[in-house]
Amino acid sequence: MRAVIAEDSVLLREGVAGLLRGADIDVVGCCETAHDLLLKVRSYSPDVAIIDIRLPPTHQDEGLKAALDIRSSHPAVGVLVLSQYLELGLALKLFADSADGAGYLLKDRISDVGEFLLAVRRVSEGGSAIDPMIVSTLFSRRRQDDPLAALTPRERDVLALMAEGRSNQGIADKLVITLRSVEKYVSSVFGKLGLPSGESDSRRVLAVLLYLHT
Amino acid sequence: MAASDVTELNTVALAPTPSRLWGTAAASVVAAACAIGLALSSDHIPAAGVHAALQAWGILGYTLAGVFAWWRRPDSHFGILMVLAGTAWFLSSLSAANQAAPFTIGIAFDLVPAVVFLHVFLAFPSGRLERGFERCLVATGYGVAFGGQLLGMTLGGFGGQNLLELTSQPTSSLRLLNLRLIALSGLCLAGVAILVLRRRQAGRPLRRSLSLLVDSFALALLMIAFLFLSAAWGLASGDIAFETIRRTTLFAVGLAPAVFLIGLLHARLARSAVGDLIVELRADPTPPDLRAALARTLRDPSLELAYWLPDFGAYAGVDGAQIALPGPDSRLAATLIRRHGDPVAALLHDPSLEDEPELLAAVTAAAAIALENTRLQVELRARLRELRGSRTRMVEAAGKERQRLERNLHDGAQQRLVALSLELSLLEGELPDDASAHRRIDRVRREIAASLNELREVARGIHPAVVTGHGLAVALEQLAALAPVPVRLTVEVPERLPEAHEVAAYYLVSESLANIGKYASAASATVLVRRADGRVLVEVRDDGIGGADTERGSGLRGLADRVEALDGRLRIWSPAGGGTLVRAEMPCAP
Repeated sequence: MRAVIAEDSVLLREGVAGLLRGADIDVVGCCETAHDLLLKVRSYSPDVAIIDIRLPPTHQDEGLKAALDIRSSHPAVGVLVLSQYLELGLALKLFADSADGAGYLLKDRISDVGEFLLAVRRVSEGGSAIDPMIVSTLFSRRRQDDPLAALTPRERDVLALMAEGRSNQGIADKLVITLRSVEKYVSSVFGKLGLPSGESDSRRVLAVLLYLHT
Repeated sequence: MAASDVTELNTVALAPTPSRLWGTAAASVVAAACAIGLALSSDHIPAAGVHAALQAWGILGYTLAGVFAWWRRPDSHFGILMVLAGTAWFLSSLSAANQAAPFTIGIAFDLVPAVVFLHVFLAFPSGRLERGFERCLVATGYGVAFGGQLLGMTLGGFGGQNLLELTSQPTSSLRLLNLRLIALSGLCLAGVAILVLRRRQAGRPLRRSLSLLVDSFALALLMIAFLFLSAAWGLASGDIAFETIRRTTLFAVGLAPAVFLIGLLHARLARSAVGDLIVELRADPTPPDLRAALARTLRDPSLELAYWLPDFGAYAGVDGAQIALPGPDSRLAATLIRRHGDPVAALLHDPSLEDEPELLAAVTAAAAIALENTRLQVELRARLRELRGSRTRMVEAAGKERQRLERNLHDGAQQRLVALSLELSLLEGELPDDASAHRRIDRVRREIAASLNELREVARGIHPAVVTGHGLAVALEQLAALAPVPVRLTVEVPERLPEAHEVAAYYLVSESLANIGKYASAASATVLVRRADGRVLVEVRDDGIGGADTERGSGLRGLADRVEALDGRLRIWSPAGGGTLVRAEMPCAP
């Protein structure tokens, strides 16, 4: 697997690069600006680009713009956006059309090395990685006649992990239950929320996100 | 003639000595009488009486108005030009003569007055053509009207009395004449266009007498163009239609000096308005009312007052904003008003008011005390402006500093902590299987995560980066999504607001939503941000228990300070049981 990293903090850039190399991921390019990032994506066709949402020169949303750029011009390249803060509006912008090969994580997540590498692999393979904080934020909004209230605690756990972009197998691993029971929970959740079932993992993520957001 | 003599002639007008003025006036009366006599005795002029009256109307109108203007404004060439226009009119009227010599002169000058009028109208008010294009237009006109006419006369076609006739080719002569007429009407229409354009460019209301005068210029040029075109079309001298057009044109052209004279006469009447002004001044008018009263008395809607503020060493308008006096090249003129030798104020007015020095002197004398009395108010306004300006600058500087602090936190401490936490995790992977070491590392990592969360909150409190980066709408969407109760958000702000306004609105909504979560026991809230009528309105409303303590804590005070620093107002309504409404209005120039 090949990855490029765009991050202007040297400490973090070298840390992430070391982390990926340790996991046998080929880091084909490291850079500090959105411009260099686009060049590297064009020349190396990596499987995944890991991008800080704030990049020079203005440190506003150059990283997000670059990510959207890559998503439209190189759909085969997964983009994983890292952010210091939860910027919900921006995160949802990234997933506006699809959650295929896209991820948004808080920088803190990097230190959970195992989970971070899982997320990188998911995004590089066309899946999604959505920060648990986004999911819990969307969950915690109070709704009138909240249909989420009809879910059992286990079903809520499964829904949250689905929303993070995990596959059924990933959910089973995380909750330490069998794949069959995960499938049972999933169809039950979809039934209660009235969502169409039988979608691919990333289509499923988008459907769940949309459901939670509106 | 040496080149220096030419410039001399162009810049210095002939001094209006009494003998010159009276001589010119007498000559014009003689010329008018002469024109009347020629018309009445003419054997080729139909309706000679009407024609004679129109000749007198034009010749006397232009020369006498010219003499008057020459006397009142010796620096300008305008009066002399008008006298020349009357003279040209007189020369063209010689074509009524039955004798060959004056008839030939009259025909030679037949078309010249049209160009002189164009010259006069375009040269108003300085008496000089200021632009190369206009000079070119007028010179072409003279060439066509006089040179072309002489050339045409050699070909005959103007009757047997024409002394310049060399050959008799009436068809070619007529064709040439039609060409001249069409060319001259084109020039006149171009002149109308210039007058219209100038008025558009002036960009301020003209004094009424002035706008009437310019209208009369445009009307005269239009009529001349119409007359010439109908002649070129084939209407001939003697046709009833043509004669009607000719008489109407002569009358219309003669209106310009009449309007000019009426304007001057009106000015004399206006001096009685000074009496009304004095009555108005007794009522202690505010500076804007004083300005309006002076503008009315001077009949100059563009009039501005500039108060001299000694403490500032500068002039300021009625609103306290500093203004510079117009320079010599400006389209405005300034009249200084002094009391006891010290400057009090200046009137900035239309230069045409300088034709009425008595009126200006009477008005300034009447207004000097009122101006001195109201100066204090203007000085107060100027101080207020100064204070507001410095407060705005302070708020801006503080905003910049907060932004810098936030950036430093983000790029520095936060990144380091994340990297540290990552390093720790990598280190953990290399540790032998030691449960207590793993527990300790886990605890350290949690501490780092907690510090990061705290830092994040601190940074957000210092400056909401998301507002600067993505605008108010995105930032508010996020607040609404994270709010403790469902929020209905309406943002009606088509473009980005100034940063200080965005940040104030953001904190207002953020703090209000937090308060709703803490105290209101509300089921839902609405947030409205709207920009309209030069203001930004921010409203946060909930359906909770109301009865909020508006003095509570420093949070609300801080919000009020932010809003007031932008000249805005923060209001809170919170009747018990009736929900809470927080409403801020901040002026925001479009």
